[in-house]
Amino acid sequence: MKDKHITEILDNASMSALSESELNEVRAHALECGPCRSAYEAARMSAVVLKSRAQTTIEPSPFFQTRVMAAIREQREVESVPAIFRLWKSAKVLVSSMALATVALGALSFALPGTTPDDQSLSAYSAESVIMGQSADDQITYEQVLSTIYEDDDDAR
Amino acid sequence: MDFDLARQAQDGDESAFAEIVRRYSPRVFSVASRFFRQRSLVEEAAQEVFLKAYTQLGSFEGRGSLEGWLTRIATNTCLNMVRSSKRRPESTVSDLTDDEQSWLDQHSVGDGEQPSVESSLVATDLADRLLSVLSPEDQQALLMIDGEDASIKEVAEATGWSESKVKVRAFRARKKVREAMEKLLGRNNKQLNSAAD
Repeated sequence: MKDKHITEILDNASMSALSESELNEVRAHALECGPCRSAYEAARMSAVVLKSRAQTTIEPSPFFQTRVMAAIREQREVESVPAIFRLWKSAKVLVSSMALATVALGALSFALPGTTPDDQSLSAYSAESVIMGQSADDQITYEQVLSTIYEDDDDAR
Repeated sequence: MDFDLARQAQDGDESAFAEIVRRYSPRVFSVASRFFRQRSLVEEAAQEVFLKAYTQLGSFEGRGSLEGWLTRIATNTCLNMVRSSKRRPESTVSDLTDDEQSWLDQHSVGDGEQPSVESSLVATDLADRLLSVLSPEDQQALLMIDGEDASIKEVAEATGWSESKVKVRAFRARKKVREAMEKLLGRNNKQLNSAAD
């Protein structure tokens, strides 16, 4: 019970904030109680190292103010540029490389020998020939159809 | 005075903001030094604080001091930096260095005297070792109260936490640190005894 009481005092406030009567109480108890003695010793040492740590501060360098003001100017410049330009600034590499790739592909498709059929060979194919499996040479012309019809009529007569 | 300076800076007066930086950078550095020991990290945090302050100048209404406002920005910025860096080691009570052992030996006798300048670096290392068992928020509360003798109210103002939250954090942190120190002292005594045998 006494042990708990003393550790509570130690944990409730910093060593420097303990009143003289509280310190006397802790010290008196620590003389009689082993666990409380080590708790008090640890609290005292912790307070010393924490004070030492708190005193370890880094001072600003002489150039710090200049650096901050430069960073602020840079930030202001960035903010003053319209969003579309900022977007362009960050995306221009990607867009440029895509445009370059498109131009290169276009140039290649014109420069290399074509593998697609030319217009003449295309015209040799008609819907009929494709459906009937006939080539253009086998197609019956309109004149041939007419002459065939009239020949048949003549024969019939 | 501070409010006028802030308004001038907000209106684009660069020299007014430069004056704010000049006047309050020691305070911002002091806050950042609680979290970081490397100069580069402290400067990075301080610069971030002033950049944030510049963009948020409009939210400073002049009810409190500019220093208090900047302290709060600094505390939150540093806490975020520590959280995102995830540099916190898992355990503190690993092996002591020779310097730390001899420091504990020297200071376990006597009653609360301050470490000498020569040994303050070792003490600071020991403090970091102890503090590393705590969350960044608990570290902040303990360092301010036990290290800088700040009041509960001052910590609450600097962090934006309620006073009861600060009390709970400080109590919990103090207990953890004391227990970690007890372990270190116990280990140190064992090492001394085994060396004597």
